[in-house]
Amino acid sequence: MRDRAGGLTHVTQQKADLLQGTLDMLILKALSLGALHGYGIIQRIRQTSGEMLNVEQGSLYPALYRIEQRGWVSSKWETNETGRRAKFYSLTRSGRKQLEEEEASWDRLVLAIAKVRQAT
Amino acid sequence: MRWLNVLWARLRALAGRESVIGDIDEELRLHVEMETEENLARGMSPEEARRAARMSFGNFDSIRDTAYTVRGGGLMETFLQDVRYGARMLARNKAFTVVAVLTLALGIGANTAIFSVVNDLLLRPLPYSEADRVVMLWEVSPEGRHMNTTSRANFREWRAQGQSFESMAAFSDQRLNLTGAGDPEEVAVQLATPELFKVLGVQPLLGRVLVEDDIKMGSAGVVLSHAFWKRRFGGDPGLVGKSITLNGNPFNVVGIMPPSFQWHIKQRSGTGKPAEVWMVLFMPQPGGAQVANERGRFLSVVGGLKPGVTFEQAEAELKTIHKRLEADSTFNKNYTAEVIPLREQFVGNIRPALWVLLGAVGLVLLIACANVANLLLSRVAAREKEIALRTALGARRVRVIRQLLTESLLLSLLGTGLGLLIAWWGIGALVAISPRDLVSLQNVGINTTVLAWTLGVTLLTSLLFGIVPALEATRLNLNDALKEGGKGADAHGSRSRRLRGALVVGEVALALMLLVGAGLLVKSFAQLRKIDTGFETENVLTMVLRLPASKYKDDPQYVAFFRQALERIRAIPGVRSAGVVNFLPLYGGLGSATGFDVEGQPPAPPGMGPSTNVRVADSGYFKTMNIPLKQGRLFTDVEDSEDRRVVLVSESYAKRFFPGESPLGKRIKVFMAEDPAWTEIVGIVGDVRYDNLMAEAEPFVYYPHPGLTYEFMTIVVRTAGDPAEMAPAVRREIAAIDPDQPVSDVRTMTQVMADTVARQRFNTLLLGIFAGLATLLAAVGIFGVMNYSVQLRTRELGLRMALGAQPGRVLMLVLRQGLSLTLVGIGVGLAGSLALSRVMSGLLYGVGATDPLTFAAIVVVLGVVALIACYIPARRATRVDPLVALKYE
Repeated sequence: MRDRAGGLTHVTQQKADLLQGTLDMLILKALSLGALHGYGIIQRIRQTSGEMLNVEQGSLYPALYRIEQRGWVSSKWETNETGRRAKFYSLTRSGRKQLEEEEASWDRLVLAIAKVRQAT
Repeated sequence: MRWLNVLWARLRALAGRESVIGDIDEELRLHVEMETEENLARGMSPEEARRAARMSFGNFDSIRDTAYTVRGGGLMETFLQDVRYGARMLARNKAFTVVAVLTLALGIGANTAIFSVVNDLLLRPLPYSEADRVVMLWEVSPEGRHMNTTSRANFREWRAQGQSFESMAAFSDQRLNLTGAGDPEEVAVQLATPELFKVLGVQPLLGRVLVEDDIKMGSAGVVLSHAFWKRRFGGDPGLVGKSITLNGNPFNVVGIMPPSFQWHIKQRSGTGKPAEVWMVLFMPQPGGAQVANERGRFLSVVGGLKPGVTFEQAEAELKTIHKRLEADSTFNKNYTAEVIPLREQFVGNIRPALWVLLGAVGLVLLIACANVANLLLSRVAAREKEIALRTALGARRVRVIRQLLTESLLLSLLGTGLGLLIAWWGIGALVAISPRDLVSLQNVGINTTVLAWTLGVTLLTSLLFGIVPALEATRLNLNDALKEGGKGADAHGSRSRRLRGALVVGEVALALMLLVGAGLLVKSFAQLRKIDTGFETENVLTMVLRLPASKYKDDPQYVAFFRQALERIRAIPGVRSAGVVNFLPLYGGLGSATGFDVEGQPPAPPGMGPSTNVRVADSGYFKTMNIPLKQGRLFTDVEDSEDRRVVLVSESYAKRFFPGESPLGKRIKVFMAEDPAWTEIVGIVGDVRYDNLMAEAEPFVYYPHPGLTYEFMTIVVRTAGDPAEMAPAVRREIAAIDPDQPVSDVRTMTQVMADTVARQRFNTLLLGIFAGLATLLAAVGIFGVMNYSVQLRTRELGLRMALGAQPGRVLMLVLRQGLSLTLVGIGVGLAGSLALSRVMSGLLYGVGATDPLTFAAIVVVLGVVALIACYIPARRATRVDPLVALKYE
């Protein structure tokens, strides 16, 4: 099953419904460790999720551009040490603040869900 | 700070320092490359690696498009993106694009063609300097006949007393025979007072315009039209200063007018064609040695208003002056005067028809817009997911609407491109079928004004057909649309269905209005053709012969020439009969009319008595035209050759002036000559429509040629076979008498009739074409909507069939839906037609603007067309395979 709006493919057979806005948070998080190009962002999310989450290119770039327009990331064409030219994205100050907010709200949500689950 | 960033990005894009499109392309390309390399590193073959990377990336174009939409850019950049994206969408849906573009092209093409005519005739400045201050001055006769010519005496007073006018000129058309260089030829000459060129503000191309002295015998000067100079003298610049021979007299060519100069007032023109030569009109000095006919009304007058004077002021002043003239002389009793702006003079009588035609193509375009809007609405469902995805990714509604409107604009532009081709071809066709008297139609073309108008229409239409579908498409409920397999169409289906229904209703209504207009014109035209003209049109050849005064000294010589010519013509094998008349019925110009006295009745004061039309004819004329003799006899052979003081009168004349008694044997005196003789009425002939098909029959007195001798006559020849084929033989006989004698206006009577109703034919034909086009488009519209509706209802219809519904019932179900829409449309259209009937009434003859028969016939025609358009999709509905329909889920 695919949820195109979230733009994520859950690699396992288990169903993982991702809430809207989650992709934004994942991208910001990936960039919080340093500047990356689009391909690198996908790779990093896959690695850090333990190969569980695969972001589709078709969702990544529109999301990236949208985030950039909101001023949370900035981009620059650069040539890296292996001589490859790519567009690198890095977190801006307001992006870092946004990430903190989103992580906080995500934590609150997880906490809330956990409480609900324990209650039953 | 966020808005600053956005602003900065937009500014950069706008400044063109960064191409958003190139940027995204590059980024995505590099992405694929990286993945390919990684795949290579994993040990895949290069080909395999690339393919896998591509596969994993998905639909490159669609990702790029979505990315563009989200990222935006500068205004121009965004627009270009939208254009590219739109172009791709249109290319992907070829069938849709072709149908939409063709529909729009027809609408826009028809509009451009008709507008170019309207622009040329009604809107474009006339080619005279300060043409908006040039007016025509006419008299209005006691019978209320407008645009009557005036006399030398009255013109003199107008010119002397009129304070509203800067300058004033009188002119009169004539035909003269040109001999000398090449074949003899009859040319249209305008006698004008030299102020004419000043009033119209025109300069000669070569030489000079006319001056007073150009009238002096021996050194009389003439000015030639550009066309005549080119045609007859090969555009020889050395012609100025040389002499040409008109009616046997030498005239000095003093100037050539520029090609743009045309001066032809059709009303009351004695020649019915534009002048090719101008010469000075003789205006004797009051009390001078030379005298001329001061009272004969034969002059047209044109004047230039002083700055700041309005038409109304000028007319009021002219009426006042004329009032004084009326008091001075019984000759002006009950005559008034009028002032008519030049544009009104030229196009006043065709303006209503042109507006109707422009309105008609406007309606056609509206129908075309409705059709395209319908097509777009049908595609809304198909595009729901695409639009929802973009919205979900942050594209705002305005942004998406802009994208959709750009697509509409592209469609419009494509339609305009093709439409201009259609218009270009259409204008050629229009000029070809236009009535001959629309002289200036020869200049119609696609110019900058027309292009600007067309572009305006293009923008307007794209908005018109694009906005509703665009609003509808972006009204979606996101969640519904995004659910895979979700029937988004159901969510807003009923709204969409209502919209489509409304469009069909509108189309049917508009088509009905056009059909009613066309139907009324067709019926009116048929009535016009049914009018009894009083003569028989078939198998009659006509031509005009004008004998030069230099060759034929007195009346008997003129008469003798025509007797001799008729004798020779009657001897030609295949000729049944032949005769002469001075003014042919419906020839397109004026005849003569004047007052008369009846013997035994007290003479009325001058200008107060009864008046009649006067014609000159021989007995052969009545036989050839099959004009019936009602009482008495025709002229005898002797009366046709010598003046025996006899006349014939028409039936209307007898009824009007001799009610309840026989006019035979009575004597009348018609004031056609200075000192007219008493003439005896020897016969009554049938009424003939000479001037206007639609007017009541008027009284006529016929003189034999010796009784009232004209230097020109129209020869009429009844032939056994095709009259046109007889023309060379008749010409040969004329040339056998005098090889220098030109023949002009060679036409068959059938052609004369066709020319008479040419304008009505033109209007009828055009409105008919537009109505046909409108009906076709409306039918396509109904078909499209019904077809789509059947498609949407496939499941429902399949279910009904599976549950045992008979095909007949399903057929009825679909038909009922389509026909009920049609009926509503017909109702609205009928109301619209009634509201517009006033506009049409001016163009109709012999049929009311609300003619119930026409309305009924049109409703039936449109109903049948709609039925056929509904039947095809309905038939398809009955062939729905229940199994397939249900599996569709």
